[in-house]
Amino acid sequence: MIEKIHALWPEITLFAAACVVMVVGLSRNVQVRRLCVPVCFIALVAAGVLAWFTTPMSAAAMAHLPQYGKTLAAFVGALLLLLLVGTPDREYEDDVARGRAAFEPIRGTRGEFYAFYLFSITGLMLCAGADDLIWLFLALELTSLPTYIMVAISTGRNRSMEAGVKYFFLGALGAATFLFGFALIYGATGSTKYTAIAEALQAQYQAGPLNAIAVAGVVLAVLGIGFKIAAVPMHFYTADVYQGASAPVSAMLAFVPKAAGFFALLGLLSCVGWFRATEPNTSLPEPIHEVLWFMAVLTMTVGNVLAVMQNSVKRILAYSSIAHSGYMLVGLIAGPGLQKDSFTHNGLAAVLFYLLVYGVSNIGAFAVLACLERRGRDGQMEEADDIADLRGLCSRRPLLGWIMVISSLGLLGLPPLLGFWGKMPLFTAGVSSGDYLLVVILGLNSAIAAFYYLRLVGVTLLEAPDAPGRGVPVQPGPFPTRVLAGVASVAGIIMLSFIPLTNQAQRAGIYNRDPIIKRSAEPAQPAVPKPEV
Amino acid sequence: MTPTMIPTLANTDIASYLLILILIGGAISFAVINLGASYLLGPRRQGQTKGITYESGMNPVGTARKRFNVRFYLIAMVFLVFDIEIIFLYPWAVTFSNVDHTMTDALTWLGRILFFILTTIVAYVYGMRKGVFKFD
Repeated sequence: MIEKIHALWPEITLFAAACVVMVVGLSRNVQVRRLCVPVCFIALVAAGVLAWFTTPMSAAAMAHLPQYGKTLAAFVGALLLLLLVGTPDREYEDDVARGRAAFEPIRGTRGEFYAFYLFSITGLMLCAGADDLIWLFLALELTSLPTYIMVAISTGRNRSMEAGVKYFFLGALGAATFLFGFALIYGATGSTKYTAIAEALQAQYQAGPLNAIAVAGVVLAVLGIGFKIAAVPMHFYTADVYQGASAPVSAMLAFVPKAAGFFALLGLLSCVGWFRATEPNTSLPEPIHEVLWFMAVLTMTVGNVLAVMQNSVKRILAYSSIAHSGYMLVGLIAGPGLQKDSFTHNGLAAVLFYLLVYGVSNIGAFAVLACLERRGRDGQMEEADDIADLRGLCSRRPLLGWIMVISSLGLLGLPPLLGFWGKMPLFTAGVSSGDYLLVVILGLNSAIAAFYYLRLVGVTLLEAPDAPGRGVPVQPGPFPTRVLAGVASVAGIIMLSFIPLTNQAQRAGIYNRDPIIKRSAEPAQPAVPKPEV
Repeated sequence: MTPTMIPTLANTDIASYLLILILIGGAISFAVINLGASYLLGPRRQGQTKGITYESGMNPVGTARKRFNVRFYLIAMVFLVFDIEIIFLYPWAVTFSNVDHTMTDALTWLGRILFFILTTIVAYVYGMRKGVFKFD
C-alpha cells in the first residue's frame, strides 16, 4: 500500500494546494484573496513536473498511461485555469471593490471554486493512475462532484443553478449505472484489481464465451462512463449544462470529465482485452464490441447533426464535444493493433493524443466566448452566446476573431492544423483494424462537422459587423488572462509543437498483453469450483 | 497465456443472481403498481378542503414560506463532518490496539488516520473562516 504513495505525489500536491486555496479564498483582505489563482497555477505546474517523473506501473496493461495522463491533466489544467480566472463572485467582487458591499466570507465562493477545480483535476489524475475498480469509482466521482457545484456557482443566474441540478441528477444516474456494472464485474471475476480481472476474463475467454455476468457488467460500466464522456445514450444533459454554465466552466466540462471517462474506459477495456477468434484482426469480445460500435456511430452522428441545427455557440460546441467523443470511441474500438511500435496503427495512442488535441483546441473557442460580453435583458452583463454576437468579429476585434477562426478550423481538423494530426491516427488505426464501415462513418461525420465549424468561421471572418445601434453591442470582458489562454491555444494549434508528443502518446498507448487467440478446438475448461459462501 | 484458476470469490453462476433480479423486479413493480393503482383507484375530488395542508388534521396557521436562518444548514453540515469522522475513527481505534507494532505497516496504519484527521481539520478551519461558528 505504501508504495502507491510514491506514484501519488502530483495528486498530493494538488490536494494540499486545494486545502490552502479553500482557506485563502475566504480572507477579508482582497490582496490575499487574489492569491488563489497563483497558488493554483503553481500547484498545477508543480504537479505536472512531478507527474512527468512518475514511475511507470510495470504490472499494468498500459504501463505508461499514468505518466501521460497526469501530465496531460496538469498541462491542460493550467491552460483552463487561465480561462477560469475571474469566474467566481464576479458581481459580488465588483460591489465590494466599489464599496457598495462589505466582504462577508459566507457570501463569497472564490475559495470553493478554485479548490473544487483542483479537486476535479486531482480526480482526473487518479483516474489515469487507477488500478482497481474501487479506486476508479472514487476517482471518477472526485472528478465529477466538484464540477456539479462549479456549474451551479459559475454565474449568479438561475440558469446556472438549473444546469447544476440537471447535471447532478443525471450524473448520479450515470454513477449508479457504472457502479452496478463494477459490482457485476466483481461478481464475475472475484476481484476489483485490474490485473486479477484481466486474468479471470482471459481465462474465461479461452475456455468459452465470456460469462454473461461479466459482459453485462462491462456493458453497464461502459454505458455509465458514457455519461462522463457525453456519449449517446447518456448525452442529453450536455447542451443545457454547457449553455447554463459560464463559458470557462463549459470549457472545463468539455475536457476534465471527458478525459477522466476515457482513462476509465481505457483501464476497463484493457482488462477485457482486444482479442477475437478470427485472425488477423484483434478486437474486443463480441457483445462489448457491438455496444461500443453502435455507441460510437450514434454519438458521432447525433452530435454532429444536432450541432448543425443550433444558433447558440455554446450549444454548437456542446454538441461538437459529443461528436468528438464519438471520434475517440473509434480509437477504442480499433484497439492497440498488432504492431506494438506503430503510432498510426494504435487506436489507444490515437485516443490519448486526441485528448490533448481536443483539450487544447477547445480552449480557444470557449476563450472567445468568455472574453466577449453584452448587456443581458435584466441589465446585468452576460457572456456572448448567440452566433450573431460573433458577426464580423475579425474586423471589430481582430485578435478574438482570429482565435475563433483558427480554433474552429483546428477542431474541424483542417490539414495543416493540429486537429488534423489528431484525427489522422484515428482513421489509420480504424483502417488497420479492418473496420472500414466505421471509418467511412467517421469520414462522413467529419464532413457534417465542417458545416457548423465553417459557419462559425464564416460569421466571424466574412460577414460585416452590425451597424452601430443595431443588435446588442458586444464588448470585450476585463480578463486579460482569458485572452492569453486563447492565444496559447491558437499557438498550439498553429505551431504543431505538440507533434513530438505523439511519441509520448504512443508509449502511453502500448498495450502489454498479447492478443489471445481462442482455441475453439480445445475442450471447455473443467468446471470451476463452486465458491463457498 | 495458460488458463489460470479463477479466484474463488468469483460467482459466475447466473442462477445465484436470481435474488438481485427479483429485487430489481420488486423495486420496479413497487413504483409502477403504486403509481398505477393510485391513478386507477384514487378518487379525484378538488376543493378547498382537499387543498389544505393536512386534509383531516389541524388547520394550518400562517404561511409556510417563512425565512429562517441559513446557519441552521451550516451547523448541520459541520455536524455531519465530525459525525462522519467519529464513524471512521471508532472502528479504527478498536482495531488499532490489535495491530502488531513491530509490523512494518504499523506506521502506515497510524499515518492513514492522521491524514484523515488532517482533512477534517482543514474542514474545521474552512468552516471557521467561513464564519459558521459565529453567532450574532
